[in-house]
Amino acid sequence: MKIAVDAMGGDNAPQVVVEGIEKARDEWTDLEFVLYGDQSKIKKYLKNSDRIEIVHTDEEILGTDEPVKAIRSKKNSSMVLAAKAVKNKEADALFSLGNTGALLASGIFIVGRIKQVDRPALMPTLPVINSSLGVNMLDVGANAEAKPAYLQQWAVMGSIYARDVKKIKNPRVALLNNGTEEDKGDPTHKDAYKLLENTEGINFIGNIESNNILAGEADIIVTDGFTGNAALKAIEGTATILLKQMKHALLDNGIFTKMGAAIVAPSLRGLRDMFDTSKAGGAVLLGLKSPVVKAHGAADSETVFYTVKQIYDMLLNDTVNKANKYFEQMSKD
Amino acid sequence: MSEQEIYDKIVGLITDKFEVEADSISKATSFSDDLDADSIDLVEFVLELEEEFDAEIPDEDAEKITTVGEAVDYIKDHQK
Repeated sequence: MKIAVDAMGGDNAPQVVVEGIEKARDEWTDLEFVLYGDQSKIKKYLKNSDRIEIVHTDEEILGTDEPVKAIRSKKNSSMVLAAKAVKNKEADALFSLGNTGALLASGIFIVGRIKQVDRPALMPTLPVINSSLGVNMLDVGANAEAKPAYLQQWAVMGSIYARDVKKIKNPRVALLNNGTEEDKGDPTHKDAYKLLENTEGINFIGNIESNNILAGEADIIVTDGFTGNAALKAIEGTATILLKQMKHALLDNGIFTKMGAAIVAPSLRGLRDMFDTSKAGGAVLLGLKSPVVKAHGAADSETVFYTVKQIYDMLLNDTVNKANKYFEQMSKD
Repeated sequence: MSEQEIYDKIVGLITDKFEVEADSISKATSFSDDLDADSIDLVEFVLELEEEFDAEIPDEDAEKITTVGEAVDYIKDHQK
């Protein structure tokens, strides 16, 4: 199994990429890697090139580049070359920490969609309060609009992923909506509810509201990309502001509050660990012919390692082909 | 390549991609109105055209291709 890696994407590339890949290479002996990027920069951090090939390129896609334009004009960039290797079957999966939009475009336009999947969806793992497995939400922004059939396809692919990678036997699927009753929402969500209710092979538990996304009530939450993106950013923004305010309240209010802060510090660290999803890896672009996974631009080598594990599990379980077969069967029925 | 050969190839790409019958397509067929293509379908189609005809279609030209006839004319006029 070979993974094509865009070594230049992300805030701390290629250092964290090389360190994480080397650790993964040592852990799984049946994995090989091709790193695309600046050879001299990669070699600076690479300790051992066993099962790691480097393909040199000077060109890279920047975080500020416009996605579709970038993949069409920067044809020798590390991301595009890595995507082409997957398309040409020289590698089995694509991994990058780079520009999310450009990776989506590379996935959709270079790696390509599974024929029966109308639109691929971006699926991160979010923390939940009662399980280290977290919840997978899709789509969080690959598509601005969704049809009920897309939501159905995402529910199926999310369920296959949860079974294969997270080892959840009967993953609970919920539809993000503005109420839990089945007649809630606009026509798309009402139709999606009916469709999901009658979809074989998934465990649909009904609607979920955004205040319960992290409550651990579902394993897969399906939503259109516009709502999913807004909900995800609301969660991230709220968490950031809350932590900042908490820090300010504890440390900037005199000596006694500071002493109190020292007492609660271990519990707060526990809280931080509970919400750490780095072990879940990166966000998967589901619905493509091969696994394409995006880790956060600020990811460390540990997250890179776990993202490789995530890709490894998808390859080992043939997750992409299972979705393919499901949809082929569905189109015959 | 003759105009007819280009047309046949393009119709082949369209029937495969949009899952429509060849006889339902004409030069007047509009990608967005008749084939219900959205922006992703259109970019995918332009990339397929580039691959099939070994052509480079700049974004500003791609935006002007809205019907099957316009795609045929573009490829015909830009043959290498």
